Amino acid sequence: MKRAFALFISLTAYVCLLAGCWSQRELTDLAFVIAIGLDKTEEGEYLASLQVVNPGNVAGAVPRGGGAGGVPVSIYTSTGDSVSEASRKATEKVSRLLYYAHTNLVVVSEELAREGLDEVFDAMERHHQFRTTAKLVIARGHSAKEVLSVLTPIDKISARQIIQMLKFSELAWGETSNIDIWRTVRDIAVSQRNPVMTGVAIEGDPRKGKRQENVQSSVPDARIKLDGLALFKNDRLVRWVDGPTARGMMWVLERIQHTNLTVPWEGKKEAIGYRTTRSKTKVKAKIKNGRPSISIHIIAEGELSESRIPINLADTSLLFRLEKELERSAKEDVTKAIKAAQREKTDVFGFGAAVHRAAPRLWKKIEKEWHDRYFPELDVTVTTDMHIRRTRMWDKPY
Amino acid sequence: MLFQWGMRRQKKQMNDGVQQEGDDHSGEVADVPQEPMSAELAVNIDIIRRATGESDDVVIRRFSLGQEKQMKAAVVFVDGLVDEKNVYEFLLTPLLTASFPLALEEKERLQWIEQKLAAVGGVKHVADWKLLFCELFSGATVMMIDGTSFAICASTKGGQYRSIEEPQTQIAVRGPREGFTESLRTNTAMIRRRIKNPNLWLETMQIGTVTQTDVAIMYVKGIANDEIIEEVKKRLRRIDIDGVLESGYIEQLIEDQTFTPFPTTYHTERPDIVAANLLEGRVAIFVEGTPFVLVAPALFIQFFQAVEDYYARFDIATALRFLRVLIFFISLVAPAAYIAGTMFHQEMIPTLLVIAIAAQREAVPFPAFVEALIMEVTFEILREAGIRLPRAVGQAVSIVGALVIGQAAVEAGLVSSAMVIVVSITAIASFATPSFAIAISARLIRFALMFLAAMFGFYGIMMGLLVMTIHLCSLRSFGVPYMSPLAPFMPSNMGDTLFRLPTWMFRERPRLISQKNIVRQSGDQKPQQPTPSRQGKGDES
Amino acid sequence: MESSKINVRQLFVLIVLFEHGSAVVIPLGVSAKQDVWISILLSLAIGLLLFFVYRRLFEYYPDQPLTAYLPQIVGAPLGKLLAIVYITYFLYIAARVLRDFGELLLTFAYPETPLFVLNAIMAVTVMYGVYKGIEVLARTGELFLIVLYFLAIIGFVLVFVSGIVDVTQLQPMLEEGWRRVWKTVFTETLYVPFGEMIVFTMLFPYINTPTKVGRAGVVGMVLSGINLALIMAINVAILGPDTVSRSSFPLLDTIRRVQVADFLERLDVFFMITLITGGFFKISIFFYAGIVGAANLFGISSYRRLVYPLGLLILILSVVIASNYAEHIQEGLKIVTFYLHVPLQVIIPVLLLIIAAIRRRFNQPAK
Repeated sequence: MKRAFALFISLTAYVCLLAGCWSQRELTDLAFVIAIGLDKTEEGEYLASLQVVNPGNVAGAVPRGGGAGGVPVSIYTSTGDSVSEASRKATEKVSRLLYYAHTNLVVVSEELAREGLDEVFDAMERHHQFRTTAKLVIARGHSAKEVLSVLTPIDKISARQIIQMLKFSELAWGETSNIDIWRTVRDIAVSQRNPVMTGVAIEGDPRKGKRQENVQSSVPDARIKLDGLALFKNDRLVRWVDGPTARGMMWVLERIQHTNLTVPWEGKKEAIGYRTTRSKTKVKAKIKNGRPSISIHIIAEGELSESRIPINLADTSLLFRLEKELERSAKEDVTKAIKAAQREKTDVFGFGAAVHRAAPRLWKKIEKEWHDRYFPELDVTVTTDMHIRRTRMWDKPY
Repeated sequence: MLFQWGMRRQKKQMNDGVQQEGDDHSGEVADVPQEPMSAELAVNIDIIRRATGESDDVVIRRFSLGQEKQMKAAVVFVDGLVDEKNVYEFLLTPLLTASFPLALEEKERLQWIEQKLAAVGGVKHVADWKLLFCELFSGATVMMIDGTSFAICASTKGGQYRSIEEPQTQIAVRGPREGFTESLRTNTAMIRRRIKNPNLWLETMQIGTVTQTDVAIMYVKGIANDEIIEEVKKRLRRIDIDGVLESGYIEQLIEDQTFTPFPTTYHTERPDIVAANLLEGRVAIFVEGTPFVLVAPALFIQFFQAVEDYYARFDIATALRFLRVLIFFISLVAPAAYIAGTMFHQEMIPTLLVIAIAAQREAVPFPAFVEALIMEVTFEILREAGIRLPRAVGQAVSIVGALVIGQAAVEAGLVSSAMVIVVSITAIASFATPSFAIAISARLIRFALMFLAAMFGFYGIMMGLLVMTIHLCSLRSFGVPYMSPLAPFMPSNMGDTLFRLPTWMFRERPRLISQKNIVRQSGDQKPQQPTPSRQGKGDES
Repeated sequence: MESSKINVRQLFVLIVLFEHGSAVVIPLGVSAKQDVWISILLSLAIGLLLFFVYRRLFEYYPDQPLTAYLPQIVGAPLGKLLAIVYITYFLYIAARVLRDFGELLLTFAYPETPLFVLNAIMAVTVMYGVYKGIEVLARTGELFLIVLYFLAIIGFVLVFVSGIVDVTQLQPMLEEGWRRVWKTVFTETLYVPFGEMIVFTMLFPYINTPTKVGRAGVVGMVLSGINLALIMAINVAILGPDTVSRSSFPLLDTIRRVQVADFLERLDVFFMITLITGGFFKISIFFYAGIVGAANLFGISSYRRLVYPLGLLILILSVVIASNYAEHIQEGLKIVTFYLHVPLQVIIPVLLLIIAAIRRRFNQPAK
């Protein structure tokens, strides 16, 4: 009994002493990689740009020494044949351990996206630190490195600025999509659908954007903005869509919460503004004579947000006519979006999944040729149902 | 009954002839003269003076009895332990004024004296020196008469005691304001006043071969489990120690397991808590000279129940109990979780938070564990200083502590402000625990968990908590599982654990503690709406 | 034999914790893709049948654990041999679960820590718990079941609030017919966790009301089965059938996707608590069954004397059992299932029951 106790104690002590410091890292030893940018060099290697937070210069830091006034993030770049090699090489330039658990954003350059992203994701998914809840965007027009280098005024860490923009832009405007990496990976992996990603562009001069002065001006020299949706065919970018077409896409993907629609009235363009507050999209597949067809039904409700012409909004019959007009407008967007995708032979809407659900057997047969043969010729019927619930604070415009 | 247990044991030791050094602790009492009381007053007085080392506070007054002043007599008492007014007015005056019949036999003398001393309570005759000294030092006045080989002890207990005050350690917003004092009688009387029932039984014994401290156990016969009562008595009888100065001595000698950071008996300063526990079938142990009364058996959950819970409304009480468990948990794991979070699991902290913490830690030269250890130890030092120092200085300590530790250390970059917040939350949490006994356990375990966290992160903490829970579940208090009624789970007793159901739903006493008389109130006490007299059945429609 | 008794509620708690054990964290029956929940429920049904076999055996020999009545059924030499096989089996599975546990922990949170150290800490805790006895384990279980359920409820709420559940991913149901489902049942989900109930034949004698053993077992198994089916269904609905079948820890991936209100994210610690408590109880129960059986078989007065030697044994075994994780998993799916689970969980108990029933029939008239 006593011996057993002694053994127990010694074993515990042994284990504790053995434990030492594996897996232990001090916060001050970590370089928090908050965003990763991926480009392709001319030699065909990957160029990884790591946006690392400089904790001493973000809000909340206790100012001491000469640290104040520095930039909140810095960019480390390195090249390599694979993504993990490129990012690992960067350790030669950083005084701390690169830490990817807080990587919340991945920016991929358009070039790379056009060549294919297949290789990119495996390293990310497999890494135990990396979270697949990170957001993925495509740098449009500039390199990923340039996008990450732009300093931003409100959210000091520019990765966070982009993430917030993605979130609120989808919420309030609905022409861009706030997509986690895991969704993208899933969409690439399955045959039923293809991914859609949001583009990020720089407005202004990217070379000035990386200087501290950029954020000291009320009108920065360079700004980051979200710009359009990138349609992918499997892992390759095939086309950008913007404006109403992009919104049409978001309608079908059921990612619209709030958006503004404007409709002409009595000859005046954009006379009436409408803002949705809630929307729902139902996608159903029907099989007729061994050929699938899709019907989409969109229901939205919202309120009138603007009227540039004097009409009496208390008139219900008028509101009904307005609803009809809105329905027509939304349907037009959706049809445009579907046409665009069909032209590129990529089913970004997941119609394949609907067909799969409706007819698993048929799906087995057509799965291989879905995107190239069946989807482009797919019969899609769109019905929309818009409700004007309120007219805001006033019944009549002045 | 008095003195018996101590005596019996002593005799046994003498008979066994054990002559070890360790037995010396009973030697002092053996100095009491062995010879029987003499019939001569002068000899007896001499013996007393020698035995007490001619201590000044042992007052010996010689006088002559009766109007003829022929019979020599003396009274002995200890100054300060007796009520002097009692001694002079009710003891000496009647004897001095009455005429003492000389011709009486010894026995008749006693009767005569007892009659004369009717105004004084508790008169008995004692022929044994040990008993005599025991009475003397318990506050009795000893009267000896020349030619008589026994003494008369009259109970004249008195002297200065602290008056009943509000309890210092267990403060309640609502509830009685009186707390126990150092006087055992006062304390038992407070319970008697609350439970006016002949079934409230009290047994007294002396423990401590030198100190001869009065220890009383109290229980409600018929509610308390006889096995537990026997167990308590058995354990008390087993105690063989030179002195008992506080109930803590008793607590440590009768608890089920010594090697545990958790208290397995409950101690309290509040008579209402003791009364409530007696009604649940527990046994209370009073010790002379301390306001802390022990209650056994104690359950883990009891330490989270404040007395006010029963006076407040049930929903509030329930919410507060959950809060207290949360508090206990915080005071256990907060610093450990901080260490684990900042040293191992940075990925589990939301990004903005981890960057904010990293920003604060930028200039801190210590690893998070050392930082936490420094702060925790500093805080423990401050707390200890705060308790020990006189009140006037205590304030200064808290100012210095707050300023030096809180402000200057952060500004100097020695610790991060996040750490200061964590330590403060832990400290406040441990103050908010209703029972000091369990808060102290949490303090100890906290350090163990901090070490585990520094070695293995959350895994270490989890394993620590797992071992702690296994340990808790293996504990028993006087045979009752410590974690009951949570584990083993007893649905019928869940009404008064973390939850506190409305009072009318407390139909049963805790099962494992009181086994005979389970039902405590009738079942239909739910407050009823007064039946509407005018409308009758009208409100159905 | 330990004299302590546990009540039916505690048996129920132990069964629930045991069944969830490692099953919630591993990719349980994912080869059935989106129909995984169907195969879990089917396994539950068949598992219940197996459980009735175990219970019947216990009814024939109340107050005795499996290893004690084996010799009585098939005769001393063969019975003792089988008893040793079962004891080894329990200890081996304890070591396997310990290995599983260590690997999981290592992969997702402690990549630099040696497996031995992680396993050693768990083994020490298990040894401590088993040393304290089944009664203490059961009580600890009662507390931790509450904690786990509390976490599960919070987890469910968060998962649904964060809006990542896409029920359409569970469709189409039975895409490839019943075959795939049944195949999963008979190669995976029947044995782990339901068939592993065989270990409770070692614990039944400790129940203070033996007549209620059946009820506790059935309720416990049904509850666990439904929970597991639900959890796997949610995993599929969130991750998609494809990702679930690729993932090493579907539950962890699910939890990692929870993002509510910008702050309730990165809730890996939920997973960790589930993993540690589940692992602890599963290892403890197997280990306890193993050493109680050994003590009983070899006539050792107190099983406690075996805790340290055999505890060290399973610790070392857990490390040397396989050289890498892939090998470990491969062993688990192929060798252990067909050469250990099938005979020891299904074939032998059924044969035992038949023999025991025949013996009864012929002995009873004689009395």
